[in-house]
Amino acid sequence: MPSTPSKNTSAFLAFDRSGLAMRASHVLVALLIVAALGFAAVGAALNDTFYLRLATEALILGGFALSVDILLGYTGLLSLGHALYFGFGAYVSALVLKETPSFWAAMGVVLVTTLVFGVITGLIANRVRGVYFALVTFGLAQVVAKAIYNTRALGASDGLIGIPIVPINLGFMTVMSNAPVAFFLFTLAFVVLLYVAAAYLLDTSFGRVLGALRVNEHRVPFLGYSTHRARLSIYVFAAVIAALSGALYPMLRGFVSPELMFFTTSGNAVITVVLGGVGTLAGALYGSVILTVLKSVIGTMTEHHLIVIGILFMAVVIFLPKGLMGVVRPRIARLLGGGAR
Amino acid sequence: MTAALQVDGLGVAFGGIRAVDGVSFAVRRQAITTVIGPNGAGKSTLFNLISGQIRPHAGRVTLDGVDRTGAPPHLMQRAGLGRSFQITNLFFELTVFENLQLASQRLEPPRQMLRRIGRGEISLRRVGELVERFGLAAKLGELAGALSHGEQRRLEIAVALAAKPSVLLLDEPTQGMSHGDTADTARLIRDLSRDVTVLLIEHDIGLVMEISDHIVVMHQGRMLAEGAPAEVRADPAVKAAYFGDASC
Amino acid sequence: MTSVLEFIQFVLAPQMITGLSLGVAVVLVALGLTIIFGLLDVINMSHGEFYAIGAYLALALGAAGISFWLLLVIVPLIMLPLGYVVESGLIQRVFNKPDRHVTTLLLTFGLGLVLEEVLKVIFGPNTQRPPTPIPGAFEMFGIIMPNYRLFLILFGFAIIVAVALVVNRTALGAMVRAAAFDRNMAASLGVLLAPVFSVFPTMGRDFIFMAFTVVIVGGMGSIGGTVIAGLVLTQVQVLSSLVVSPVWSDPIVFSIMVLVLVLRPQGLFGRIGHA
Repeated sequence: MPSTPSKNTSAFLAFDRSGLAMRASHVLVALLIVAALGFAAVGAALNDTFYLRLATEALILGGFALSVDILLGYTGLLSLGHALYFGFGAYVSALVLKETPSFWAAMGVVLVTTLVFGVITGLIANRVRGVYFALVTFGLAQVVAKAIYNTRALGASDGLIGIPIVPINLGFMTVMSNAPVAFFLFTLAFVVLLYVAAAYLLDTSFGRVLGALRVNEHRVPFLGYSTHRARLSIYVFAAVIAALSGALYPMLRGFVSPELMFFTTSGNAVITVVLGGVGTLAGALYGSVILTVLKSVIGTMTEHHLIVIGILFMAVVIFLPKGLMGVVRPRIARLLGGGAR
Repeated sequence: MTAALQVDGLGVAFGGIRAVDGVSFAVRRQAITTVIGPNGAGKSTLFNLISGQIRPHAGRVTLDGVDRTGAPPHLMQRAGLGRSFQITNLFFELTVFENLQLASQRLEPPRQMLRRIGRGEISLRRVGELVERFGLAAKLGELAGALSHGEQRRLEIAVALAAKPSVLLLDEPTQGMSHGDTADTARLIRDLSRDVTVLLIEHDIGLVMEISDHIVVMHQGRMLAEGAPAEVRADPAVKAAYFGDASC
Repeated sequence: MTSVLEFIQFVLAPQMITGLSLGVAVVLVALGLTIIFGLLDVINMSHGEFYAIGAYLALALGAAGISFWLLLVIVPLIMLPLGYVVESGLIQRVFNKPDRHVTTLLLTFGLGLVLEEVLKVIFGPNTQRPPTPIPGAFEMFGIIMPNYRLFLILFGFAIIVAVALVVNRTALGAMVRAAAFDRNMAASLGVLLAPVFSVFPTMGRDFIFMAFTVVIVGGMGSIGGTVIAGLVLTQVQVLSSLVVSPVWSDPIVFSIMVLVLVLRPQGLFGRIGHA
């Protein structure tokens, strides 16, 4: 009966708020990229090392925050131990790099091992939801972190040091991990790729099922989807993103330590995501920049910056629940021509 | 012709109480079968058993000739069963469009799961069909939670119907509806029964008598009687057990 | 032969008594979680911090010369306004928002962070220990039992029994006020346990984690399950340090929880499915 299918159906997409919101996120990330390029240019001109490295770390943590946002913002799961995978990726990467300083080898091994590790731990964690999920994930991270802390072969409390400089062979050029500007730009590209992968997945039909899980989990099986499988899949995906981000850490800093798995790392990522805007992906990246700046600035004023940040965090949760993106993104969405009210 | 849906000796007990006990009946294709019975008769539990929400302790559920006993809800849905709920169970924080799009996704081939929803022509076209059939064009951009009760109940049916099930379970579709809405819904259900087999739970006796081809009466977990509306109405056992507290 | 007896007298029994005194405290908090939170639908991640605050208050006020028994009364009273502020100032603000479960989780997580940092700033990061309120010990069957721990165990059991009885007879309305009672109880437990287990900034998190583990293992909604799981798990934690290095006791307890989660997700005695 419907005569012109393509024309009619594409008109419907104006009512697809998540798709529109996603596009607004893309615009914001593009802005961030431009700003980052400018920052790199300035840093190169001034021959700076410290701030470029700090910014690179902010990007790596931003990639980690992306994975936390995937769970919290899109599936509605608060994980308080996601740093487990960040640290896992960092340690595996460090171990591989100490054997052979090959970027691709490290990434490949991290990817495969995290898939397995993520499935095993994911099966455990996803037995529960809500606050129990938060605590089981917390417990998992604590236990593994403590185990590593007490294992001599993994460097115990000092961690693994002496990670060599890594030449990253991209075919058309080689980036050295100790070159501040080049590695910063490489990390930028890497994290943006992670963003693109996540954004794409969440905009697919699978991504819509996840959103449905967050809104009304009970109805989802009646639509024909196994909630267990959906939740496990996205959990493993988030674990892989976290691990890939973590894999860059030893390349930047030259060492890894159990702190990477501690509650503080997981907690910081949650704060990052909330400040930037839960469920926006772009918010994770912006939030990481904001938190890094806040920590540096407040850190110079007082030793107890965690209290200030904690209070700010609570204020954001109460008064600005959608974070920075909540203020900025709707305006951009409207500019892009939002059809739905 | 095989029945669209067949239950044999279906039963489940909770803590010693037999909520459903030895229920057997067949649901004919493209006919409207209604389950009636006083509150607590086990009607919703029966639906939960058929749709896979609860595992039966006894009996069999056969859908389109295939034994599906014990299958979980998502597998029942894939086998061709659609279900609406007595207490509206929509995605209230999503728009009408998003609700319908989600429900229609199952029509797409598996590879569409990893593609943008904009590329899913089949599901988008289905949304268009549903919008027209259920008169929801003006409300596409509204949040499901902002709709009127009657509109929500309609959307509830549309969501159950979206993935083109062969059997549709409607749990008190006219619950809380005004008289006018109820009449419209009755017409809608009769219209639906031309392409899909309908199994209905209802309290509105007038509606039941008007649209049902076949009635199953439940009482205290067991089947009390079944047959054409006139037969059931005349049955003295049914009258005694049920029509005493019926709402007309 | 004698060495086995000696082992029981001097090593096993004291550990078990320590474990029991921790066990009753954990059971009390876990009971609060399984009964009250299960019913009220409010999730408080800063619950552990109230326990820690109670302990630190005991430390500070005790050092200022206030007697232990007076502390048991004063500390809950001091906590009342704090609990009220948290409840109406923070939690109520987000209670009516759509995403309230996650938001409450986040909010109380933030609160927990801040409280923990504040404690660290005021009292320093090191472990401290207030003096034992009932000094001395007495001997029974050749086992030396510290008086204070015995007191804790008996007192704790009495409260567990009281809670169990009250729960079986009280209407839901009283439960609402029970959340406040539960917070004060956490603070009181902090006061009571501080002389035995020491006071340090992350104690709140560790303790609450233990309590939640007990609820998961025992089964949400089951009082008996909580009591059994609480007593058993604390014994495992305490006794495992006899066999392996103490750093592995937490992983061992956690592994038990993982096993229960994998094999029987509703908990050993749970009837309701996990929320």
